[in-house]
Amino acid sequence: MRIRHYVFLLSLLFYASLAAQNKQVLYDFNDIPQALMVNPGMETDFQWYAGLPLLSGISGYAGTNGIAINDIFADDGLDINDKVRDLMVNGLTTRDEFSQALQIDLFSGGFRSPYSDIFYSFGAYLEMDNILYWPKDYAILAFDGNANQLDSRFNLGDLKTRGSTVAVYHFGINKKINKKLTAGVRAKLYSGITDYNATNNNGYLVNTEGQNNTIATTLNADMQLRTSGFGALSTAENQGTLASAFVKRAIFGGDLGLGMDLGFTYHLNERTAITGSVLDLGFMYHSGNVYKYNLKGNATIEGIQINVLQELADLNRDFWQDLVDDVEEFIPFETTNSAYVTFRQTRVNASIRHGFGTPIGSVEACDCGIGGSNNRAVKYRNGIGGQLFAINRPRGPQVALTGFYLRRFGEFMTIKGTYTIDKFSKTNVGVGLNLQAGPVNFYFMGDNLLSYQNIAASNYASFQLGLNIISWGKKK
Amino acid sequence: MLSIFACSEKQDFSQYDDLSITPSLETSIFFVKVQELLINSATDISFFTQDFNFDAFEEVFFADRVLEGVISYELENTTSKPIQIELQFLDENDVLLDSEVFTMDAAPTALLTREVAYGNTGKSLDILRSTSNVRLNASNFGDNVSSSEIPGASVQLRSSAQFMLRLK
Repeated sequence: MRIRHYVFLLSLLFYASLAAQNKQVLYDFNDIPQALMVNPGMETDFQWYAGLPLLSGISGYAGTNGIAINDIFADDGLDINDKVRDLMVNGLTTRDEFSQALQIDLFSGGFRSPYSDIFYSFGAYLEMDNILYWPKDYAILAFDGNANQLDSRFNLGDLKTRGSTVAVYHFGINKKINKKLTAGVRAKLYSGITDYNATNNNGYLVNTEGQNNTIATTLNADMQLRTSGFGALSTAENQGTLASAFVKRAIFGGDLGLGMDLGFTYHLNERTAITGSVLDLGFMYHSGNVYKYNLKGNATIEGIQINVLQELADLNRDFWQDLVDDVEEFIPFETTNSAYVTFRQTRVNASIRHGFGTPIGSVEACDCGIGGSNNRAVKYRNGIGGQLFAINRPRGPQVALTGFYLRRFGEFMTIKGTYTIDKFSKTNVGVGLNLQAGPVNFYFMGDNLLSYQNIAASNYASFQLGLNIISWGKKK
Repeated sequence: MLSIFACSEKQDFSQYDDLSITPSLETSIFFVKVQELLINSATDISFFTQDFNFDAFEEVFFADRVLEGVISYELENTTSKPIQIELQFLDENDVLLDSEVFTMDAAPTALLTREVAYGNTGKSLDILRSTSNVRLNASNFGDNVSSSEIPGASVQLRSSAQFMLRLK
């Protein structure tokens, strides 16, 4: 029976348990200052803005492309063991992912230079992201085991996961180069709080026919888990100083990195523009509180083997302990603390937008547009176009295609609707609402709205919201 | 905000308690080979007796999680005499917990295979959980002068195990 009830707590859990997210509704939404974060080369007409600390930009998403909560936990009378086995163990592949991201602006602001048409923006935000690809062969081993699976290799490379918590400090410059082109760049300093990644594992476990005994079990492993920050936070937790340790690592007390965003907007004609951006082109150097766990080697065992003639002089040795020691020698498990480098998940956005309908504001007075003397672009009542999003993931790039329609209702409200196709959903409808009450700006966005009919059955949910004070100065 | 207006089918998260993860794992246990020339060099019927430390079943991970299992034996005799192999499962105080006896005619003879079940309708799993040593007694019920025509004649005992463990 379908029932209607509040699922706020469930959603919070979903979001909180939550990789960099596709912000297709926010992208090129140039009424909102935070849209500069997804294209530093966006057209801006703000004189200045100030985001409310902690509230100027909050966004998050959670996605599981292969399965939904409802598939497993629906109160449908089916045995959960059958559902898990059919839909997960046998249903999911190593390309199916569980991912999440959460981003919170700590502070943000921007201002236009009084001497040139350059808009400066700055701020800091906290970003958490995690992704786990379904470790299929590990799941088969866990649920079925390796019995009666002679010559079947269980691929240890199926384990691919990464995640991080990073404080990002940024400063951006946005300049209208000429009447057609606006370009922007943003410099970023990363302060890593935690990081883990196990994305380059190789090896296998296999049972084959033995030479002496009935079965030979071979473990060939080249695996590594790299972590940073967790030890320091764990120690701080035990000492009751977790919060201060977190803040310390967030303020350049942990891992450090550098990065940049690039973007542009180019008018093909008065009404049509193309945009593009490359975000988080950067790296992190993890050097503080690093633990690398390595398992590398190859061993084939056929149990305890006692060839009495060969062992005659040493039959009293501890064959079991010797076997254990041999395995540990051939496949040593080691922990090291050397620094490592990770690259940020670089994202690429591109779009084409066509404006139509009545221009907003007094265009004559403004003399805006590429034909006018003022560098400001004309905002049309309607906008329509398409967007492309791509992100580099551990198993290769992921792509999303979006079509959008934007409608302005005077200067106080703008609504943008999107339709997106990606690996999570083929029916992702999103809506963004931007409200302007005097200098107060509030925006809220959500997508995959059709799934809200049964949120538990959704493979993807995301949101963005924020609160700003904006001034257009005398130009508005 | 959108969450407040969302709907959801009824979910029953208590189903998680019913989730059962019980893989069956398989690997070899031990292999013993006694050559015929060693058998002939012994003057007693018992030509080989040896205790071997075997802590695999005592490991906490195994002992706490094992539900049932089967140990499969395979005995091959290519010597010219009938033999008997006795495996004794001993605890850490060398107290006999269980034994398996295998008797085979002289070569040529087929492989002797045996599957011994533990748990459910089989033998008690406590035998395995308490096993710390395995004693192997081998006896020659024939002569100690003849030699098999089969090159490299020997008695070989192979064994492997399949155990179902409860991970959840």
